[in-house]
Amino acid sequence: MNNYLDKCEIELLCIIVNNGLGSKIIRVAKQHGILGGTVFLGKGTIKNKVLEFLDLTDINKEIVIMFSDTKTANNALEELDRVFTFKKPNHGIAFSTSVKSLIGTHQCSNINQYRSENNIMYDAIYVIVEKGKAESVVEAATKVGAKGGTIINARGSGIHETSKLFAMDIEPEREIVLILSESINTEIITASISEELKIDEPGNGIIFIQSVNNVYGVY
Amino acid sequence: MNIITEKVKEVLFSVLPITIIVLILNFTLTPLDTPLLIRFIIGAILIILGLSVFLFGVDIGITPLGKHMGAFLTKTNKIWIVVITGVILGFFISVAEPDLHILAGQVDAVTGGLVSKIGIVIIVSVGIALMLSLGLIRIVFNFPLYKLLSILYLIIFGLALFTSSGFLAISFDASGATTGALTVPFILALALGVSSLKKDSKASEKDSFGLVGVTSTGAIIAVMLMSIFTSNDKISGSLENNIIQSDSIIAPFINKLPHLMIEIFFALLPVLIIFLIFQKISFRLSKKAVVKILKGFLYTFIGLILFLTGVNAGFMDVGSILGQRIASLDNMSYLVIIGFVLGFVTILAEPAVYVLTHQVETVTSGYVKRKVVLLALSIGVGIAVALSMLRIIVPEIQLWHYLLPGYIISIMLSFFSPKLFVGIAFDSGGVASGPMTATFILAFAQGAAEALEGANVLVDGFGMIAMVALTPILALQTLGLIFKIKASKGGIKKYE
Repeated sequence: MNNYLDKCEIELLCIIVNNGLGSKIIRVAKQHGILGGTVFLGKGTIKNKVLEFLDLTDINKEIVIMFSDTKTANNALEELDRVFTFKKPNHGIAFSTSVKSLIGTHQCSNINQYRSENNIMYDAIYVIVEKGKAESVVEAATKVGAKGGTIINARGSGIHETSKLFAMDIEPEREIVLILSESINTEIITASISEELKIDEPGNGIIFIQSVNNVYGVY
Repeated sequence: MNIITEKVKEVLFSVLPITIIVLILNFTLTPLDTPLLIRFIIGAILIILGLSVFLFGVDIGITPLGKHMGAFLTKTNKIWIVVITGVILGFFISVAEPDLHILAGQVDAVTGGLVSKIGIVIIVSVGIALMLSLGLIRIVFNFPLYKLLSILYLIIFGLALFTSSGFLAISFDASGATTGALTVPFILALALGVSSLKKDSKASEKDSFGLVGVTSTGAIIAVMLMSIFTSNDKISGSLENNIIQSDSIIAPFINKLPHLMIEIFFALLPVLIIFLIFQKISFRLSKKAVVKILKGFLYTFIGLILFLTGVNAGFMDVGSILGQRIASLDNMSYLVIIGFVLGFVTILAEPAVYVLTHQVETVTSGYVKRKVVLLALSIGVGIAVALSMLRIIVPEIQLWHYLLPGYIISIMLSFFSPKLFVGIAFDSGGVASGPMTATFILAFAQGAAEALEGANVLVDGFGMIAMVALTPILALQTLGLIFKIKASKGGIKKYE
């Protein structure tokens, strides 16, 4: 494995755009060095008096998440901003946050513990797997002490899936599992999930961990 | 106003193709009279407006209600509640469906009153009610859809042996007629509500579809049984030609309006009453949510009126005259080719199609794109219309020559195609045969049959909807197979 990548800092890119643009975002991002992305659907709201009176305030959004080392991430974000002009209203929102560690992609396949863990009690573990496997993820996690998990339906494409259908990229269905765990348990939980679902092997999904500063409702 | 312009833009894309094709035909093969053309354009504008408003109504009124209803049924965890509610819902929605009344009226006319209109409406509604119930039970008990459909279609084939050929067409038409613009979104949402509570995400996804398909078999079986028991094998009489050749531009719109308003009001009424009853006894939604759903109903009402007025007053006569003029041309291949093109573009403007394709995209988180589903549907319906035109030109081709192999292949495909697509496919059969097809395409076919010697308006007229309900099933299951082959991870071996 590439040595310098093992030490890279990983960023999570999160882009919220109108329905239908998610796949385009991934396509553009892939041209700028990002290896894949996951999309899930959301609903946004609009502030407008007339529309509020008519009760027509729901608008469908797509949320795209992608990973990369900081340098590629910044570059890709800039390029995305150039193509999709996020500064104009209604063109979407993009932001990036730090990721504590990432398992399951070739880019950075090591668990990086570069961030200080002082005062951080909890971690958010995100597991992105093929549709239908989320339940085994939750099982594997609860077996070793996690309190439960939240499943989000999504779709996405990595480097392994590049087939096309009528000139449209096929993005297979995914599930994202979000588990909040105490920092001391994080490693056991990720290990258990990783073992159960063979995340280490290519194409079986990814796990990433973010630090959480405050948690309410997890006991 | 972003959200409104967006919706209108989407609707424009679905209504403009048909408008443009008709205009092209007007300037090339079949010039239309000016008043007719103006009415067509007014109709198109009404359809665009109506469809936009209607879809908003479905989004915030009908769909949420269906989902609440479905979730409520599952949460009760009592099978008898599911059965009874299913029967009641199915019966009242179907009794109120305007398309069914039109079909029943036609059957009444062609059988010389032997089968009364009310009789048909009630029998078909009972069939629909029982099948809706069965379809819900299937979802709750995880019985595979393709097996249930195989059994149901086996029963239909068995009954078909004893059914006269005239009634065969009527029975398959009934399946399309009962799943109209209002019923389909509601049943789709109902299935979504019931299945979304499932823990197994894959089962939840594929069970979100197929309920419309199961429900519509109820109509087929009911009409077939009725034909066998009344041992009616004669179809005589004729349909009154209800094409008003009026030179007035505005009059047809105004004439249609009050009648349509009453029809839609009664179609919407049972759903509204069901909502109010369930709100009282079980949903207990916040006041804001209730107001929102009620506004949704209002939009649905207004939207449907505009849409149906546009279709009935603006599109129907044009369809009929196009059919007549094109059939009178020397070259018969025009009829088949133009039939394909019209089928291809008409389906885009079908309200329920829009609802189905969006639901597919939402349920699969965008994995199955709406454009792909639309393309498959368009090709399917195009072929259906082309084949029907062929049947009008060549009298030797009987309807069952298409239906029998078609449904046998559909059932066989359902064993191989991904199960998600099986559900979508059988739903789309009911979805495709909505108000747009039932008026414009049917009028086109009848117009063509009228102009051709040897073609029978009656025999060729019936069966058109049956074809439109069949081919999407084939098209979407084929699409499913393509997805299955394409989606397998091709590149993974390189990394091992």
